[in-house]
Amino acid sequence: MDKQGRDLAETVWTRLDRKAGAIIELTVRQLRHRLSTWVVLGVGIMLMALLLIFYVDSVRESFEPIDNDGDSVDEDGDGYPRGQEEKYGTSDYFWNGASEYPGSSAYVPESYIDANDQVRTIYENKSWEGAAFFEATWIDYNYSGEQWDSHINWRPDDNGEPQLTDCSDWDLDRVLNRISWGEACDMGDGDEDGRNTYYAAGKWRGEGTNTVLEGGFLQWGYWTEEFYVAPDPKEMYINEDGIDCIDLDGQIGDCPSEDRLSGSHGFDDDGDCLAAAERGEFVDENGNGILCDVIWRTSNGVVIGITADYNVDEDLDEQEYTGELGHRMFVIAVGKMAFVILLGLFIPLFLSLGLVRDETENGTLHLLLSKPINRSEFIAYRLMGYLAVSGTYVIALALLVGIVASVLGPGDSIIRLSDLPVWLGIGIATTLVLAAYGSLFNTLGLISPKYGVYICILFGIWEFTMGSFSIVNPNWTVSSVSVSHWALQMIDAVVLMAWPDTIQWSAIDEAFGIYSGLSFFWQPPVHTLGTQSAAVSLLISTVVLLLFTFSFVFVGKSVFNRREIM
Amino acid sequence: MTIAEQKPPAVLIDQASKWYGQVIGINEVSLAIDGGVTGILGPNGAGKSTLFKMMMGRIKPNQGSVRLFGVDPWTNTSPYRRVGYVSESEKLYEWMTALDFVTTLARLHGMTREEATDRSKHVLEFVGLTDVMHKELGKYSKGMRQRVKIAHALVHDPDLIVLDEPLHGCDPIARTSIMSVIRELGRQGKTVLVSSHILEEIERITEQIVILHNGRLLAIGNLHAIRDMLDKHPHRILINCEDPRSMAGLFVSQDPVFGVRFPSEGQLEIQTNDLSAAHSLLPSIVVSSNQKITSIENPDDNLESLLGYLIREAS
Repeated sequence: MDKQGRDLAETVWTRLDRKAGAIIELTVRQLRHRLSTWVVLGVGIMLMALLLIFYVDSVRESFEPIDNDGDSVDEDGDGYPRGQEEKYGTSDYFWNGASEYPGSSAYVPESYIDANDQVRTIYENKSWEGAAFFEATWIDYNYSGEQWDSHINWRPDDNGEPQLTDCSDWDLDRVLNRISWGEACDMGDGDEDGRNTYYAAGKWRGEGTNTVLEGGFLQWGYWTEEFYVAPDPKEMYINEDGIDCIDLDGQIGDCPSEDRLSGSHGFDDDGDCLAAAERGEFVDENGNGILCDVIWRTSNGVVIGITADYNVDEDLDEQEYTGELGHRMFVIAVGKMAFVILLGLFIPLFLSLGLVRDETENGTLHLLLSKPINRSEFIAYRLMGYLAVSGTYVIALALLVGIVASVLGPGDSIIRLSDLPVWLGIGIATTLVLAAYGSLFNTLGLISPKYGVYICILFGIWEFTMGSFSIVNPNWTVSSVSVSHWALQMIDAVVLMAWPDTIQWSAIDEAFGIYSGLSFFWQPPVHTLGTQSAAVSLLISTVVLLLFTFSFVFVGKSVFNRREIM
Repeated sequence: MTIAEQKPPAVLIDQASKWYGQVIGINEVSLAIDGGVTGILGPNGAGKSTLFKMMMGRIKPNQGSVRLFGVDPWTNTSPYRRVGYVSESEKLYEWMTALDFVTTLARLHGMTREEATDRSKHVLEFVGLTDVMHKELGKYSKGMRQRVKIAHALVHDPDLIVLDEPLHGCDPIARTSIMSVIRELGRQGKTVLVSSHILEEIERITEQIVILHNGRLLAIGNLHAIRDMLDKHPHRILINCEDPRSMAGLFVSQDPVFGVRFPSEGQLEIQTNDLSAAHSLLPSIVVSSNQKITSIENPDDNLESLLGYLIREAS
């Protein structure tokens, strides 16, 4: 009992409670009896069902293994996939000669005589290329190549003697002019030592003495022994170089690694970068002096950028990465676009604009205002009633979509429990948007019962545009002059709190060219007062949205209190 | 008891005026009402609804003041705990049942759901709607709707009940039922204000009347006193009969009658200074005339004539 002898159950507060309860209940029941309520809420459910269908479709597709670095193809058709050819340093392209394949014989140049050399004669059993007078001890008539390879055809007869143009009585100019590249002519055995001399221009193999003209060029070398290499199955070159993180003990582990974030990570599982390094190619694109690695850069304990050397960690396992990235992208994109921007705008437009205005127009306001309830209370309770319907709806819908997506999403467990806080956050952020727009639209409906709806539509266009800009670039100051910006910031913050490694995932998405869209739809929250803390950002955004809501309740109350009701 | 300690009257209107641009709704009306049933009488557009809306804090007087139980209803809703208001608006929540409707509005007085339901059942019984209280309001007749409106205004047992044209559009049965409800409220000691533009309706409910005309308070007091004043003024009685001339012969010799006319065929107009006395003569003369009388009318016994008379008196 209080001083005035009233029972505790009969204090001013309990009476307020009962009035609030009655108005809220009345509002809920009124909304339930309106067709537009069911239409807009039904459209919301259909939209979510549609998005889930797209999600199911994309989940199925994105888990197909993809050959991100394109090294499982066999373009020259020699049976060896490009990844295997690259490891052996052979070409997979037709124009470099289809004869190149792992284990095929390779020409190794040894030395040459060019215009600067004093000694212009050499005796060896080699493969030659250039132009020289060749006093042959032995000629390999089978040394041949492609049509345009300039191999000399010696045209041997049955006795093994070359049948060439006789140029023994030609002067030097005539020889040089008449014998073109890929040909030879017989100059006879002038020193009568039993070995003919030939002028040869092109490629040939044989043993003998080569004399190179002044200003001429001849190089020689040998062909390696051919050996058999078993062709790898092309599947070996799909998802063969995943993202590797090195922990503090130097062991390769999963990424993102919680153990050791910044520094040199990555391992060239398929060896294509290391093979390039062996061939002497430049393989330190990230410039940290370590060949074939990946640098992870951090700031305040979170990964902010990843730079990989070429062909390191370049063909990751889709099941492991694209699935997770795509799933997070779906959650965030649906939360931002479908919940905050679409439902957040349309539900209040249909349900809140006439919360008080319609009572005035219908003439039922007299019934309510003849009761001991002041007009400010009335506005507040009406908004609460509207929020009871719309807020419950969006939170329930968010959790429902969340549960379905959590079951369908990647991961070992049946349901991804860590998703649910994010969906709850999306529901709450949308509810705050509904409150902010609701109080604004209700006030506009009161200020101008006739034109309020047009002002609301203009405002909606502004909000939609600023919301879209906020998604692309949350740092843009102008977009922060919108309700949607702060709600989107709430989602960004909640995502970071529920999934602290999202910054790393976003960095992985960009660095390894997965392009899931995560880094488009999500960026770390910006309003952190320099603390980089998601909780601070969440708090600030919530306060801004609540302030906006209360300000317009206050404006609405001031307008309504002065309004004469005829 | 000093004046300051005195209980303020239920309604106190002091020099209140309300105008809409060039149109004057209420013009310097002063009024104090406490206890009993008071009829607010005036033709359409006289300012009855404007006066009630001012009392209920819907509109703010441009001049003067309005107090309910000593409190300004424009700035403070606390008097509504003791006031029940039936507005002229016909709109209700059509999808609700009567019990639902009255219960919901009762809860706005801070009652619990159970209290509200009990009280609602009680008032619905009082207005005679118990049988149909579970029916949707959309299916109610005009008279039933008016009674539901009265029920919601009575649910919190108010001390002051303001009814704006509660009989408007009702059939005779509903009218009688509502009138008896209002009379009963008066008997219970409530302060009841009823507006109407029909003199006969008010006459059947109460004797205490306030007459409004063009926003001005034209008369206030007991209806009988006004009627007596009115009776002393020349009145006409129109009798439709077979032979007006022979009938006239029977009247001219009588004391209250000072003249007769024959406005049209088969019609006799009797002019009198004492309407009651003339009326008391009527039965015996009609019987002795041995004629068939088709109708007897009092063309001056309506609000317009009353107003005309009062305006002439005032000027």
